[in-house]
Amino acid sequence: MTAKARRTDGRRKRSAKTNILITGVTTSIGRNLVNHLLNDPRVGVIFGVARSDKPYYFMDLPPNKFVYRSSDILKYRELKNLFLSKTFRNAKINTVIHLAFQNRPIPGEDTHRLNVEGTRDLLGKCIETPGITKFIFKSSDVVYKLLPHNPTMLDENADLNFDPNADQWIKDRVDADMICRAFMDNRKVNIVILRMSNIIGRNIDGQLNAYFDSKPLLKTAGFNPMVNLLHMKDVIQAITLALMKDVQGIYNIAGLDTAPITTFAQLNGSTVLSLPEQLLAPVNWLQRKLGLTHYYYSVDKERQKYTALLDISKARRELGYRPLGRIEF
Amino acid sequence: MNRYQREKALALARRLLPPEEFERVMSIEINDLGFGFDQFGMEKESAIIAYSLARYVHKYWFRVESDGHDNIPLKGPAILASNHSGVLPIDAVMVCVDVAIKLAKPRVVRAVVDNFAGFLPWVNVFFYRVGQVVGARRNFIDLLHSGEICAVFPEGTRGIGKPFSQRYNLVKFNVGFIELSLTTKTPIVPVAVVGAEEQAPMLGNLKPLARLLGFPYFPITPLFPLLGPLGFIPLPTQYHIRFGEPIEFYREYGPKTVNDPEAVRMLADKVQLAIQDMVNQQLESRSSVFGFGEDEQYDRQSASN
Repeated sequence: MTAKARRTDGRRKRSAKTNILITGVTTSIGRNLVNHLLNDPRVGVIFGVARSDKPYYFMDLPPNKFVYRSSDILKYRELKNLFLSKTFRNAKINTVIHLAFQNRPIPGEDTHRLNVEGTRDLLGKCIETPGITKFIFKSSDVVYKLLPHNPTMLDENADLNFDPNADQWIKDRVDADMICRAFMDNRKVNIVILRMSNIIGRNIDGQLNAYFDSKPLLKTAGFNPMVNLLHMKDVIQAITLALMKDVQGIYNIAGLDTAPITTFAQLNGSTVLSLPEQLLAPVNWLQRKLGLTHYYYSVDKERQKYTALLDISKARRELGYRPLGRIEF
Repeated sequence: MNRYQREKALALARRLLPPEEFERVMSIEINDLGFGFDQFGMEKESAIIAYSLARYVHKYWFRVESDGHDNIPLKGPAILASNHSGVLPIDAVMVCVDVAIKLAKPRVVRAVVDNFAGFLPWVNVFFYRVGQVVGARRNFIDLLHSGEICAVFPEGTRGIGKPFSQRYNLVKFNVGFIELSLTTKTPIVPVAVVGAEEQAPMLGNLKPLARLLGFPYFPITPLFPLLGPLGFIPLPTQYHIRFGEPIEFYREYGPKTVNDPEAVRMLADKVQLAIQDMVNQQLESRSSVFGFGEDEQYDRQSASN
């Protein structure tokens, strides 16, 4: 083989690697994902983006494999500069994993802008940027409409929550999910939506995590729905599979642990207080004011009553996803 | 239930059941997801304790007489399609208990309950824990695919809430169970229940109140609302349950039949007619609604012969 051929072959091999841009890289999922992908030989460069300055835990990572950039994707100029930057172009990014999402329903315009407009702008930029072939969006099971007569297992075609009275945070999640879905027809970027069940673990900024940390834990009297908990190990597995497999579409991702909500509360050692539905919102408000919880009951009104487990057969079939992690309380 | 409550429940069941019966029901298996529940929320200990209590109602309150258990498969999926009556769904409970008692190896019958049960606090949890599921098509398919035996009441709440004057006249069957039988190739076992109509004769229906409360009907019976909640206690009528020969439409009609509404309706009508015939036969052979003194009558007849 001539030197030129070897160089061409080497370039091809380099470009065959998956070079990834991760938004919201400072989130718990982002951090775990980076640590996992750094050890994956199929991954070339990881370009991490978040609003904050480079945190201490990314300082020791190899600079040839991991690049960090502080950028606010909500600002159009910053987003544009990010995609035009030399570092970005040199990294030959071909995949974007969008994790920059406000996972707790903290009220405010910024939450809506990040969750909906941020997703739309980023996806638009990915489609118009040559070289990007995949966009992975971490969605959530809160997008599904919960009703007492729903089947226990919801597949990807289940009704979404378009209830006009739904909490704004849920509406934002549905909007973001729908934006990604609407762009699936484009011929340039494969869009993968991963609708995940409740991720439980340390430093996870999620509703159910906040729920189990509540003191006491409030429950709707007369209801005890089944819930599924997702281990970080499985979150990483699902994203990695979506990254490496040549797929497009929506996938439900759930974990191994499924039981009634009070079973998990008991395992967690929580004190459970069952109250009539009408009292839960004011008591939860009081709890938040007293600093006893970060949980927002208004978002989870239906989830407190009705079971909705995710059917992961499509993810099993097409991604090869197999849940492995058990939650330790 | 937590571990302690489960132990207590099983200890109570052990006291309520004869030893060999306790061992027998302990052999039921559920598709445990790791915490003692299946995906529909069924818990073995809850089902056993509910069975232990309902067995007494079956034996002493309703004094259930039943036949045709050979028609129920000992394993694999089956759909038990039954008539439905009596204001409260006690006939469903008796069918489930009867199957568990009479089969050589007890099977948990997964009754498909009406959607409104999911709204009712505490009731929904009880139903799920003892193995009942909300009547969503997907739930039904999942159960049949996992080889469970399902009970359906194709008359729905129209059957259970029909006036006493219409007793034992089956109302038009819903067709969903036929579609699922054809697509999943599952036999339908027709079930006729006699005795439930008279347990709480429905004299009237307060429809505005029912609408307000979100119930399918609000019954007026000889005892309710006169006696308040006590009025819900059913009269001790004698139940007669008959399990008919399995109907296997899927052998003759392919899964594509579900796209022909008229054919599906015709098949549902056939099942309805089969059950109506069984009900009529049982009514003809029934000598008394309450069945008290039937034994003495029988003894007298035997003695005179």
